[in-house]
Amino acid sequence: MENMVGYNPSFAEEVFQNVHSGDKIKMCMNCGVCAASCPLREHMDYPPRQIFSLIRAGKREMVLGSEAIMLCTSCYACVVKCPRSIPVIDIMHGLAHYALTKGYMPRVETARFGTEFWKQVYRLGRVDEKDLPRRVFFAGGFVEGIKKMLSFMDIGIKLMLHRRMKLLPERKIKGVKSLQKMLNKAEVLEKGGAVR
Amino acid sequence: MKYFLYWGCSLEGSGANFLVSLKPPCEALGMEFLEIEDWNCCGASVSYAGAGDLAIKVLNARNLAIAEAEGGYDVVAPCSSCYIQMIKVNHEIKENPKLLDEVNACLSEGGLKYDGTLNVRHIQDVLYNDIGVDKIKERVVKPLTGLKVAGYVGCQSVRPYGEYDSVNKPVVQDRLLEALGAEAVPFPSKIKCCGSGIFLPEMDYCMVLVKNILEDALNHGAELISTVCPMCAMNLELYQGRINDKYGTDFDVPIVYLTQLMAVAFGMDMKKDAALNYNVIPPERVIRAAIG
Ligand code: SF4
Ligand code: SF4
Repeated sequence: MENMVGYNPSFAEEVFQNVHSGDKIKMCMNCGVCAASCPLREHMDYPPRQIFSLIRAGKREMVLGSEAIMLCTSCYACVVKCPRSIPVIDIMHGLAHYALTKGYMPRVETARFGTEFWKQVYRLGRVDEKDLPRRVFFAGGFVEGIKKMLSFMDIGIKLMLHRRMKLLPERKIKGVKSLQKMLNKAEVLEKGGAVR
Repeated sequence: MKYFLYWGCSLEGSGANFLVSLKPPCEALGMEFLEIEDWNCCGASVSYAGAGDLAIKVLNARNLAIAEAEGGYDVVAPCSSCYIQMIKVNHEIKENPKLLDEVNACLSEGGLKYDGTLNVRHIQDVLYNDIGVDKIKERVVKPLTGLKVAGYVGCQSVRPYGEYDSVNKPVVQDRLLEALGAEAVPFPSKIKCCGSGIFLPEMDYCMVLVKNILEDALNHGAELISTVCPMCAMNLELYQGRINDKYGTDFDVPIVYLTQLMAVAFGMDMKKDAALNYNVIPPERVIRAAIG
């Protein structure tokens, strides 16, 4: 599939225009220092350096469908080390966000976790640590949800017994309506738009 | 000295032992904490999946704008994710004034405005630079003599800006541990990543990261690991059982917040102030052995 898409010179332009910090890729000299910094590099199909080359080569499917763009742990090691001061992490996050808006879903669990997290922030202004895993687990259907829920029971019980779980549901912040207006505005001004 | 304490969502839940143990020793050192009125979540490190970068900036600028209007004291963010999210806005608006205009265009939808005048500080930063190790030493009544601690700094509490410590060889946490009388063991994995916010959804991949960190600490003689981040604390502490099952190891290493050790060394209550009973892997035994 991927190979059939072939060369697509407009893809680099698409990334420069729509992905946060995407235009900074232009400064990349392909040294590979960033790729060596990623904690999960062994599991990345294409480490950051290669992602950037693929963008320049116009390989849209390979980039937006890549697992690597969702395997960034936000460790900031690349930012400290890149000799060209490229915000590699921002580009990786930007690509993951953009891929999701385009209907790609590499690393399903992480994608669900991140999108549910954001939905909760938008809805409440806060995050509910009990409710979030439940929503993530059940996003893939009821049976899968129950299985996952049970597999995490031990962790939940430990936290509860050690007073590390808020027992009451998280309430909306008072200014949630006004916060939502601000975030809606940001979505309008943002490159690429938000995932809903 | 007055500060806004932006404790964020996790310190009300899985990181409760950080918040409980932070206030008593810091207040004993003369710090006074105010809450940012009606604060919102910082977005942590995974929101990018759902939100664009500007929305995350606005989310954080809302808290900063409120704090700025309420007195403009330095904002202390103990959670490293909150810290990085907030300080990132400040850094980027300094480099790019256009961004501040965009952020304010959004904030104005809710009648707020941010002038970019606030300082965002890490708890290690204020303890080390505002209070200082001498004052901390003076307050110690039960020195943690001989307690071998691996000071785990992790990622986002120093990277990428290195506001108060070296990004390559951070020393602040070790100096603070030493001020409490503990021995900070050499620990090459000090700034290695634990998997951070994606540990939970990517557990199969991330467990080895934690395994390597724990192993390194133990190989260097640590009896416990200290941290200043609720994500690090969770990832390092809660999954040791699973890691043992997967790799045939037998980890049972207590993971404590620096502030918990501080409360103990200041002679405060082990439960009420140091919140040691909140820890899933009990740290009391090794700590009691040190304070006698
Ligand atoms: S470290 Fe910087 S310059 Fe080198 S490959 Fe990565 S992004 Fe490009
Ligand atoms: S921040 Fe992300 S892209 Fe950068 S080194 Fe860490 S995992 Fe890799």
